[in-house]
Amino acid sequence: MKKVCLVILCLSFMFLSLSFAQRESVSVWVDDNEENQCILPIYEKFNELSETAEVVLTLQAESWDVTRTALAGGAGPDVVQTPGPSFVYELAQAGLLEPLGEYATSLNWGDNFVDWALSLGEVDGTLYSLPTELETIVLYYNKTLFEANGWTVPTTMDELMAVSEVIAAAGINPYAHGNAEWRPANEWFVSAFLNAVAGPEKVYEALRGQISWTDPAFVEAISTLDTIQQNGWFSGGLDFYYTATFPEIGAALGNGEGAMNIEGSWRLSNISDYFGSAAGNDNDWDWVAFPTKSGEETYSIGIGSTFSINAISESKDGAAEFLSFLFSPETQAELAVSCGRAPAPVRISADLLDGLDPRTARLFESIGKASDAGNYGYLTWTFWPPKSDVYIYEAIELVWDGQETVDDYLMGLETTFAEELAAGDIPPIPNR
Amino acid sequence: MLKQRREAPAIFNHIILSLLVVFALLPIMVLFFNSVKSNAEIGSNPLGPPRELHFENFKTAWERGKFSRTMRNSVVLVIGTVTSVLVLGGLAAYSLARLKPPGSDGFMLYMLVAATIPLWLYLIPLFILWRSLNLLNNPLGLILIYTATNSPLAIFLLRSFLISIPRELEDAAFMDGANKLQTFFRIILPLAWTGFLTVGLVVGLGVWSEFQIALIFVQLPEFYPVTTSYFAFASRFGRDWALTSAAAVMMIAPVIIFFLALQRRFVDGLTAGSVKS
Amino acid sequence: MADMASSANLEGYQPYKKPVFRRLMQRTIIPWLFILPILAIHILVVAIPSISALYYSMTDWKGIGEANFVGLANFKRLFTDDPVFLKALKNNFIWLAFFLTIPFGLALTAASLLAQVKRGAMFYRLVFFLPYIMPSVVTANIWQNLLSPRRGLGAQFTASPVGEQLVKLGMPDLGIPFLGRTETVLLSIAFIDNWHYWGFLTILFLVAMQNVPLELYDAAKIDGANRWQQFLNVTLPGIRPTLLFMLMMTAIWSFLVFEYVWILTQGGPAGASEVLGTYVYKQAFQRFDTGYAAAMGLTMSSFAGLIILIFIVLRKRGWDI
Repeated sequence: MKKVCLVILCLSFMFLSLSFAQRESVSVWVDDNEENQCILPIYEKFNELSETAEVVLTLQAESWDVTRTALAGGAGPDVVQTPGPSFVYELAQAGLLEPLGEYATSLNWGDNFVDWALSLGEVDGTLYSLPTELETIVLYYNKTLFEANGWTVPTTMDELMAVSEVIAAAGINPYAHGNAEWRPANEWFVSAFLNAVAGPEKVYEALRGQISWTDPAFVEAISTLDTIQQNGWFSGGLDFYYTATFPEIGAALGNGEGAMNIEGSWRLSNISDYFGSAAGNDNDWDWVAFPTKSGEETYSIGIGSTFSINAISESKDGAAEFLSFLFSPETQAELAVSCGRAPAPVRISADLLDGLDPRTARLFESIGKASDAGNYGYLTWTFWPPKSDVYIYEAIELVWDGQETVDDYLMGLETTFAEELAAGDIPPIPNR
Repeated sequence: MLKQRREAPAIFNHIILSLLVVFALLPIMVLFFNSVKSNAEIGSNPLGPPRELHFENFKTAWERGKFSRTMRNSVVLVIGTVTSVLVLGGLAAYSLARLKPPGSDGFMLYMLVAATIPLWLYLIPLFILWRSLNLLNNPLGLILIYTATNSPLAIFLLRSFLISIPRELEDAAFMDGANKLQTFFRIILPLAWTGFLTVGLVVGLGVWSEFQIALIFVQLPEFYPVTTSYFAFASRFGRDWALTSAAAVMMIAPVIIFFLALQRRFVDGLTAGSVKS
Repeated sequence: MADMASSANLEGYQPYKKPVFRRLMQRTIIPWLFILPILAIHILVVAIPSISALYYSMTDWKGIGEANFVGLANFKRLFTDDPVFLKALKNNFIWLAFFLTIPFGLALTAASLLAQVKRGAMFYRLVFFLPYIMPSVVTANIWQNLLSPRRGLGAQFTASPVGEQLVKLGMPDLGIPFLGRTETVLLSIAFIDNWHYWGFLTILFLVAMQNVPLELYDAAKIDGANRWQQFLNVTLPGIRPTLLFMLMMTAIWSFLVFEYVWILTQGGPAGASEVLGTYVYKQAFQRFDTGYAAAMGLTMSSFAGLIILIFIVLRKRGWDI
């Protein structure tokens, strides 16, 4: 009986796939979330335009866990999305991804992407992935609150610490932060302070294994972050930080319970929900580049995810055609304008971004410029190998809790990092 | 039976039970409140009654979560799993409780040991096996997995219910010439009805709210179960709690209705049992 | 199902069998045919894939690609070079102690009180069972809000007029961040998981209690037993198979706990709520130490196996489990 059912099921699948045979079917799996709901029209547009391929999009929860299990089991979608270059490295080494070099040449991807972007997708000199959604971390602040109190928006680390003290003295939380819904949020702050205090140059050297993570510059960076936590400036104390959810953080920043927020460019897509009449207050927001010790305006960059082609895919040409469409400046600009999503590191002319909130446009423009000029810092989830990355956001809580010193923490990072460096598991770091 | 129990000092019982009712209901009330709030209001007022009613949350959640499809899929999974667990598990439990063949202790030990193995341990090998058997993206594939993972608890619970049924009835049936299978279906099953219903409910509920296995073994949206519906409102680092709450209300509503409907059966089963014994 | 039908048919041919074969048929083969279908499914789903996990536990497999054999190195690292593992193990034991007492106390109380009432019995039963049907993600979020130090129950009570008066009289601020403090986080998660679990136990016990013969209660009353003595001497022995079995399953599950901890804290803050389940998951799916995770998973299972051993010993001593 079961066998009969199975045969019938298989037959019906075969029939279904036959009826679509005129166009190559390209499967794509992405996370089922609000941001991705917004990109559905882009996929439909591709299907209207293309005569040779048709994208079949599957929105699924925890897409990466599912994809990874499927790939390990010899299955998976035609277009493979990963959370970052270090995962691409792992998959490519296991022979699960298709080399993209020839497609890059024939489809002229080099013309669209900024210089470092394609090298980020290389494993041992061969291109395997394309980076999407350029990310950075900036300082958002409650503009109305700052103006009403006459506080100066900080541009250097010293000013940031000084204004934090003033805000705290006024009985307001300097920062609205929390990690109750997303523990790895810890690494946003570690990333921000490593690059802002030690400087991108030092971080680059450490990532290349030229200097140790125990370097005094990193000690200073982590100590500064620790001071802020110990002062209770993140939402009024560690235990509050650990229990604050994102809606609470948004509401706190919006209604002025918290003054600033160190967060990624992804926050742009919904920060406005917490300000103005919609949220029941008269406040407004703005952002500045995250203040650095040197005072130089720097942007640390990372990417949201990568796209590759499955090595066992039967429609690789169709998949490549789709990638070409997805990473064209026009499509990326459309994503930015209609979904508030940061574009991939491709060259977008300013007129394509018409209709964006000016603050959002200014941010996209700034990271694009910084990344194109090669003057940028490094975000942990993109440039650190997996074990070091997990260590960064897990073990920092031991420092904040007083169980470990900053030196212990960095020593531990050095050990984990050195192991992964020796094993060759480091994602490609574009040359400076 | 029921008459006698009513004589107990009921006031004391009701006081304690009412306290437990408050404990159980309070969070569920919050869920219902949140299901009709806007997302911004949940941020500032996560517990209290809604200031504005947003009933459209349900419509949005229903459409975006594609509930009409996922509910149908989950019903198939629940019916398939509950049937196979109750029939196959029930037979095994009967054998363990009454027939006790040599080596059945070994079987029980196996089932117990198997219950200690975490899913993560065998997930990838199972995936590879299922792919080679063509059971991915196939409700039957999920039903087989759910039957297996639910069977230890189900078999042992059913067994413990069966042990407590008086033996004389079966002996009488045997005397009348019924074979073991007939005895099981005609005598045991009606008597152990409440136990079977409870286990069926627990297993069905487990399947209804399961997602970790479903996410991995089903990759075509046309087979997605209802749990995937409330994931549709996640954002990158958090989620839309208004829509998630509305989705959760819609997810538990059928279960509550089903439970209420079954309650009558529960009572019938109980009285039937007491009359016969 | 096909096996089942044929076994039933075979019994119809009894007169043609020799007595020895008939005995074998009755005592062994037919009872095993009852067991076989579910056993076959279970072996296919759990046992066969688990055997390969046994092999992976002795490799450096990353979940993808080649696996190199490393012998017992993973197990050695587990017990000699991994303080997080030991901390997680300790947390599992705390979890075990909590779950073998609190939910059972609640459920036994509720079930025995509920067994005696008629009016509203349906209502109580439904309400007690409701938490069990709530999706874990939602339950976790609601409790996150209820326990929030800013807008949770405690904070709102402190901010209320009554609360303000009490604060003046020396009451501390009740907006305690239970899930944010290393001292309280683990028990808070256990409390939340218990909210979801105890009603399930209650219903199981209630069903078991309905099968306790009424005459036993009458006899106890004639002997002058009060309610507590009736509970101890009639109810508890009457539901013993269910009670002991659920104690054992709860103990086993205490070593496998994952979901609520993962959703609420992912083992934090500062590792204070790390349990074996979350640690294994992190090793397998975040750090990609799949071989090491397999070794840890097997160790987890063997701790749960110890619990089973205890119950087997009890059974050998004549306890009916």
